[in-house]
Amino acid sequence: MSSWLRSTETRIVTHLPLGRADYASVYLLQRQLHDLRAAGKIRDTVITVEHDPVLTIGRAGSVANILVPPEVLEQEGITVYEVERGGDITYHGPGQLVVYPIIDLRDQGRDLRRYIRNLEQGVIDLLAEFGIKGGRRPGFPGVWVGVRKIASVGVYVKHWVTRHGLAFNVAVNRAHFGMINPCGLPIEVTSLDELTGEVYPLEEIARSLLARMEPLFEWRLVEEDPGPYWKGVE
Amino acid sequence: MDERTEVRLPDLGEVEEVTVTAWLRQEGDTIEEGDDLLEVETEKTTFVVEAPQSGRLVRIVKKQGDRARRDELLAEID
Repeated sequence: MSSWLRSTETRIVTHLPLGRADYASVYLLQRQLHDLRAAGKIRDTVITVEHDPVLTIGRAGSVANILVPPEVLEQEGITVYEVERGGDITYHGPGQLVVYPIIDLRDQGRDLRRYIRNLEQGVIDLLAEFGIKGGRRPGFPGVWVGVRKIASVGVYVKHWVTRHGLAFNVAVNRAHFGMINPCGLPIEVTSLDELTGEVYPLEEIARSLLARMEPLFEWRLVEEDPGPYWKGVE
Repeated sequence: MDERTEVRLPDLGEVEEVTVTAWLRQEGDTIEEGDDLLEVETEKTTFVVEAPQSGRLVRIVKKQGDRARRDELLAEID
């Protein structure tokens, strides 16, 4: 197909900015949207959200990568969930931008690797705006600044429709990361505030990141009120 | 019909190899076309392989923890 035709095929994609929301509710919302997308009842949809503190353990994960006793997690108000995405353990919490694309990869070349690379590339392009060089480490998906990780990926694909996605540390409590071996590895994490010396509002970073993702995924994002989408999610 | 249907790893793009992380059905189970059969993982992505046809899951070839490449035989349905 001629390359000039592609621009006419830019897909309109729904963006649902959830603000701050707890992990379990958003998980249920993701599942509901995933079912609707797989049934062709909604178009591709991208959730952005900031979670209350939580640890999630993926399919390749183990509670052995939690380095503190359950009492400490309880004191800090951190819940632990087992989830079906790929990967090991990760932390979500205030100051972290989480992006959950619920999209049909049959429109993205049916390529799991390309999908992960596009998620990573959005963050790499955004970091470049701040003069920060983000990169990849072979065999360790995510976005790294030097040897420190600034964004994690973890995805679940069924009927070629995605859920879960990307977590980008904007201004996180890094002490919370000290409670785990992120991704099952003894690695250090970093955060945009640490690298720039400034705390940016998550909504602003979300807008910038999504703007970076649009050309990579050939999307045009249209923001919608999440209210109606929460219906039926209890 | 005694022709067995082969369940093979679909083309997942540039992915070279996956690991079988979970079987969602057991040998001997009766399954419907489109049922979730197993999960495979690559690069932090879980992918659910569906049953290509209804029948009985007679043989699991790639077990949990095994690696598989594109088009490799995962199981047989009768």
